[in-house]
Amino acid sequence: MSRVKLRALGIDLPLLPTTSVGSFAKPDYLLAGRSRYARNEIDRDELRGLETRATEFWVRQQEAIGLDVLVDGEMYRGDMVAYFAELMRGFVQGGLVRSYGNRYYHKPIIVSAVFWPGPMTVDWWARTQAMTSRPVKGMLTGPYTVMDWSFNDHYPSRRAAALALAREIRKEVEALIEAGCKIIQIDEPALSVRPEELPVAIEAMHVVTDGLPAYFLTHVCYGALEFIYPQMLELPVDNWDLEMSNSGLDLVDVFAEHPFTKDLSFGVVDVHSHELEEPDVVRQRVTRALSVLPADRVWIDPDCGLKTRTVDETIGKLGLVVDAARTVRGMLKEGSA
Amino acid sequence: MELILANTGGYPRIGDTPEQQRLRRAHAQRERGELTPEGFAKVQDEVTGEVVREQIGAGIELPTDGQVRWSDPVSYVAAHLNGVSLNGLLRFFDTNTYFRQPVVTGRLSRRGTILAREYRQAAKAAGRPLKAVLTGAYTMARRSIIESGYRSLHALALAYAHVLAQEVAELAEAGAPIIQIDEPAILHHPEDLAVLGEAVLVLARGKGGARLSVATYFGDPAPIYDELQDLGADMLHLDFTYSPSLARIIADRGSAKSLSLGLIDARNTKMESAQTLFPVLDVIGRHLRGPAHLAPSAGLEYLPRDRARAKLETMRRLRDLYVRDHR
Repeated sequence: MSRVKLRALGIDLPLLPTTSVGSFAKPDYLLAGRSRYARNEIDRDELRGLETRATEFWVRQQEAIGLDVLVDGEMYRGDMVAYFAELMRGFVQGGLVRSYGNRYYHKPIIVSAVFWPGPMTVDWWARTQAMTSRPVKGMLTGPYTVMDWSFNDHYPSRRAAALALAREIRKEVEALIEAGCKIIQIDEPALSVRPEELPVAIEAMHVVTDGLPAYFLTHVCYGALEFIYPQMLELPVDNWDLEMSNSGLDLVDVFAEHPFTKDLSFGVVDVHSHELEEPDVVRQRVTRALSVLPADRVWIDPDCGLKTRTVDETIGKLGLVVDAARTVRGMLKEGSA
Repeated sequence: MELILANTGGYPRIGDTPEQQRLRRAHAQRERGELTPEGFAKVQDEVTGEVVREQIGAGIELPTDGQVRWSDPVSYVAAHLNGVSLNGLLRFFDTNTYFRQPVVTGRLSRRGTILAREYRQAAKAAGRPLKAVLTGAYTMARRSIIESGYRSLHALALAYAHVLAQEVAELAEAGAPIIQIDEPAILHHPEDLAVLGEAVLVLARGKGGARLSVATYFGDPAPIYDELQDLGADMLHLDFTYSPSLARIIADRGSAKSLSLGLIDARNTKMESAQTLFPVLDVIGRHLRGPAHLAPSAGLEYLPRDRARAKLETMRRLRDLYVRDHR
């Protein structure tokens, strides 16, 4: 059904469209540039030049690899929540907190009412789209996740904070659509953390997407989706982009018990492993995806953003994604998948 | 009411100043092969000393070692066991932190002492005994995958309990006055209370002269309050931040066990006030048996370092105010 929606938006994709979740490794020159910018050794324009150069590098890589729907790679972002919190009014940057291992991030603090400051991602989306004839996704973080991954010193409840954020994030979605963006991914990796709050997340996503002419995806990872399935399908998006490989594809069994009613972007490579999977393993994962959904509702991509992998590992893993999709497309054509 | 100020578990191992990021840098150096395992262990010891002293400086009377070495609450101990390999990352309850999932591939056994040396080192740095904290057998089993060696969650939980009982015995031997067993998973699976009960009994056999505390957090303990009272532990730590009814339940039913009152929100930066804290203490106070602990709802590693310290300082200030006005 969503393929019809895509066509109505003027987007025609092959069977098993390939994409990636959002972030890529920042090349060394950009990492150095960000450090120099933090030390006030270069100005904003110079950093922006490096970010643009890195974005173009990744666009060319994605084209060369053969991905169907591209991303900007988030060369201009650090963290998926902190980026928006730094731009929106109502936040201050909190101190570092650990996520796992030796990885830390600045967790924002909501200290007053949140406000959309004007377009936060539109310029980067338009700049990237101008580099390629293939569709580029708009990339946002959803209101429930921004709320959950921020401290809240201001709003009286988590729901109040999520809904306030949703009203402001909708303005960014409207701005992306106004600029011409037709595929918009709104990441909600925190979605499953408190199953009892799923209605809050759904209510907030309605505020963000209702009545707007775009194909919406949401990305969720590293959660216990079995506790919110199938109720989670009420989230008003067209496509669920899910981390499947890291958890041994165990969600496939969950989906077999109740029909998956949306499109599914099926993660077929583990983004937290340095090692490249065997091509046969990736191809088998694609075939497993087809055991839960018809091929015209399946997209293929990595489990999650690839910013923790090296440039070479990222290119290798994206290549595996595309090769596997192509192989299975061929098998479908021959009737052997 | 006597209130002892205690930490609940972890403490932020890095802060935002360059000197507070020594461990982060050492970690990266070790990954690049620029620091030996011994050199890295030395930095871990030094940072443990810092966070222990920081808790004491904030007024905490029963600090922890901050769990500075713990890569995550599940895989740190599991990685030291025979019969376990580690799988991919999973989210740790409703936090934005992750743990590596243990895959049980055979019978569990220890390769050697895991926690006692660290405890001794931290207690020496503190110049006083600490609360020892470890993740409980039931939660470890709940967060593991069984490939072989055991046929049920029940069997695996008891196997973990027998392994952890050796840790409990060594921690008691090392001088830990209170050994806290973290069992957050039980709040999400109350049907397993009997399994938890058996596991706690196994651990209790090793406690020697120490007191055993069972900690629940990341959920509302009110629905299983009576069953928690039946556990073979001396103390219960309860997270009040998820539960609108917990204070009233304690007032109505009392507590046969000492309580650690997790009234300071370890997950949000908003500081507690007399207006939010004192009414709860008023409801509970007359119904407690003996001194209680006042503590963060969970480990403090979910907060930035400066806020974690501010939480502890706030806790001390409010405790002192409350005791002064309610003497």
